[in-house]
Amino acid sequence: MAGRAQIPTSNSALIAMIADEDTITGFLLAGVGNVDIRRKTNYLIVDNKTTVKQIEDTFKEFTNRDDIAIVLISQYVANMIRFLVDSYNKPVPAILEIPSKDHPYDPAHDSVLSRVKYLFSTESVASDRR
Amino acid sequence: MAEIESDQLQRASLDETKVKNEDEEEEECILQFLDSLDAYLTLVDSLSSSLRQGWFDLASARQSMGHTCISSKLFDHKVHSASTTINIMELDADNPSDPKPQFSLSKWATTKENPSSEVPNNSNLRHRAPTGVLEDGEKSNGTQVSSVVSNDVSLQLDIQKERSKSLTIFGGLVSPKLRTAQVSFETALDKIVEIANARSSMLSSFSQLQLNKKSSS
Repeated sequence: MAGRAQIPTSNSALIAMIADEDTITGFLLAGVGNVDIRRKTNYLIVDNKTTVKQIEDTFKEFTNRDDIAIVLISQYVANMIRFLVDSYNKPVPAILEIPSKDHPYDPAHDSVLSRVKYLFSTESVASDRR
Repeated sequence: MAEIESDQLQRASLDETKVKNEDEEEEECILQFLDSLDAYLTLVDSLSSSLRQGWFDLASARQSMGHTCISSKLFDHKVHSASTTINIMELDADNPSDPKPQFSLSKWATTKENPSSEVPNNSNLRHRAPTGVLEDGEKSNGTQVSSVVSNDVSLQLDIQKERSKSLTIFGGLVSPKLRTAQVSFETALDKIVEIANARSSMLSSFSQLQLNKKSSS
């Protein structure tokens, strides 16, 4: 696969989060919170006042930063920006969809699994036609 | 004529071996893909359990401490670095067309400075000696082991200090449920890193399968 960028190896990369308040609170208790010199955090709390544009902009910002290794995003939030999440294909940062309190994990919506499932379906249809 | 026939036979057997090897490689790739897919789904399920436990403990802590005591308004917005970070390594750096990152967790800034992980090679069995009489080698061996033990203790104290720092944003005296919530989310972080590695392995073996399919068709 030509044109793939090299993986930036790092010894202290961050975990970014786009999720509800309780999930962010829990992970901050586990020590992943970071505030840089420009007072930018590595998390976005999504509530009923958060707009889709804010989520999109934050997702783009986190996926373009060199110091972030993993982006955790609640699956119900990922569904709001599904096109953006599904079109993301870099190895780092890794995008992981996680469940939230009110929305359990659904493998049918996971972008990695649907990528794999879609391609397998195409393969099986193509082999039937031969 | 006989030579030509034997050449043809040799070539046919080489081709057969080559096809057999390719088939074996493809099967191995398929197995690897299916293994990592299974691991991914199992780990996500396990992560859901850890998160549920964490949310439950958080809700219990909120009930005992009060809703205003555990709120995003209390988050620390002063400049500070994360105590728990991720190390990224690239597996198979010789194959740039198939990047496969490997993630590992560094909890509470401990992995970087962990002298207790280096156990001296000569720390074998301790030998009982007559009272007050120790060989020089045994004396230095005892000193090395005790320094490893004291490093371990100081490491544990550092970890506790970092844990307490995270808890103190919600006040000096916190509910025990908040501490158990912290442990649940730490467990969730371990699973998240494993999920990231399973994802990386799954995508890598899947892209390899696609390449094999394209080259064979």
